Amino acid sequence: MKDVYILAIESSCDETSMAIVKNGKEVVSLTIATQMDTHALYGGVVPEIASRMHTEAITLVLDDTLKKANMKIEDMDGIAVTCKPGLTGSLIVGIECAKTLALVYNKPLIGVNHLIGHIYANNIENDMEFPMLALIVSGGHTELVIMEDHYKFKRLGETLDDAIGEAYDKVARVIGLKYPGGPNVEKLALEGNDTYNLPKPVMDDTYNFSYSGLKSAIINLVHNSEQRKEEVRRADLAKSFQVVAIDELVRKVEKAFRETGIKRLVVAGGVSANKYLKEEMQKLCDKYQAELLIPKLLYCTDNAAMIGAAAYPLYLKKEFSDYSLNASSEGDIL
Amino acid sequence: MMELYIDTHYTDLVIALLKNNKLIDKRVINSNKHSINTVNLLNEILKSNNIGIDDINLIIVINGPGSFTGVRIGVVIAKTIGYTKNISVKAISYLQALALNYNKEVIVGIRDRNGVFGGKFNKEHELIEDYFYLTNKEVESYKEEIIYSDLVDIEKVAMFLKNKDNINPHLLKPLYVKRIEVDHD
Repeated sequence: MKDVYILAIESSCDETSMAIVKNGKEVVSLTIATQMDTHALYGGVVPEIASRMHTEAITLVLDDTLKKANMKIEDMDGIAVTCKPGLTGSLIVGIECAKTLALVYNKPLIGVNHLIGHIYANNIENDMEFPMLALIVSGGHTELVIMEDHYKFKRLGETLDDAIGEAYDKVARVIGLKYPGGPNVEKLALEGNDTYNLPKPVMDDTYNFSYSGLKSAIINLVHNSEQRKEEVRRADLAKSFQVVAIDELVRKVEKAFRETGIKRLVVAGGVSANKYLKEEMQKLCDKYQAELLIPKLLYCTDNAAMIGAAAYPLYLKKEFSDYSLNASSEGDIL
Repeated sequence: MMELYIDTHYTDLVIALLKNNKLIDKRVINSNKHSINTVNLLNEILKSNNIGIDDINLIIVINGPGSFTGVRIGVVIAKTIGYTKNISVKAISYLQALALNYNKEVIVGIRDRNGVFGGKFNKEHELIEDYFYLTNKEVESYKEEIIYSDLVDIEKVAMFLKNKDNINPHLLKPLYVKRIEVDHD
């Protein structure tokens, strides 16, 4: 069969990224222009600034991606773009660029769900086999799903309130760590011990997650300590939080291993970059003799290569989008 | 010489084709759904005039001010075509485009929900003071006369831009004028 080259565009949050992906697996070139330093000045992503920076970067990122691959848009078989979920103003920048390229070069347009992109980051250097469990952990999502085949999902559970990445960011703020909160909490936790007795998230028997109670407990703890003029052992608190937050993920995945009999797990989303999460999931998978896939660090965070990987099955099925493709802040994978 | 005109700065989405600065087709969609409509409309106008993108010699884009997202849509399309197809791009603000209707020194304004974007132009239609944005309250106490109009003559715009330089598509960006408020951490 002829090789399929897809130009993929990702602009859902604070990274302008493009990639050329061959047959859904081989990353021919990847460019990521991050805005992280700018948003760090404001303690978090400012949507309007993100949209402005995407607009300024978009053709430069395209130029870089094409040059690194030594390819032209004419060589592409399709144009893929993240269309949901994300910041709509930011998504629109990537979408308009993609639609224009699709029109001008008469290429199929493929709208891709960002979360499914995170899952397919695991298919770049490994081969996903079905059925498998997929744990999606990011700033906006915490979900456990069964994937029976390409684009066939069945949800087991999801967060009832905050996403795990959101909880990391809020804890970072409360204990005075800078944006991006998640990686900074993880770093600080390395210096601490699990000494704080924090409440376990959901004690029920479902596959759902909940992180708002844990977050509130930490906010109260810090607040009360300040009032009593007691010192908060920040590293210990970071560690204690991380243990409870991640153990909850482990507990639910273990339940799924036991109840579904599935022996494969992929972890997807920004929080999959967390080392403690990786270690604990590896231990669990060893215990159940299950296979664990976690993307390499470069593909854990937002990037267009995963969008190209996720677009490939849609390309094969000819599930193309028309020029009415629009951005959406919501984006259920089911 | 074939020119493509794109204006997405506010509720009227306008795409037009000109040949040697004479209008040959103009399409307008009034909506707040430019992100859905713009590339569709571009496709439609090219098709029905039997024109390929490679027949276009110049893209004229309104680069603002107005709706932030709206302006970005036109600008991103112009940048993308300009860069990939190596087609010349020229940008003009909607205020300057309006000023072309007056052969005298003039302050032109366009309203949005919360206030007025304005610019002062000399009789040669060049901007003589920085663009400004006044809230509806500030406008009440503004001393000088602001002329509001919403009618851009696209042929005049094309003629005016004839002697202006092209802009490198990579450097083309929206003219926002209005500041955004964010707290520093």
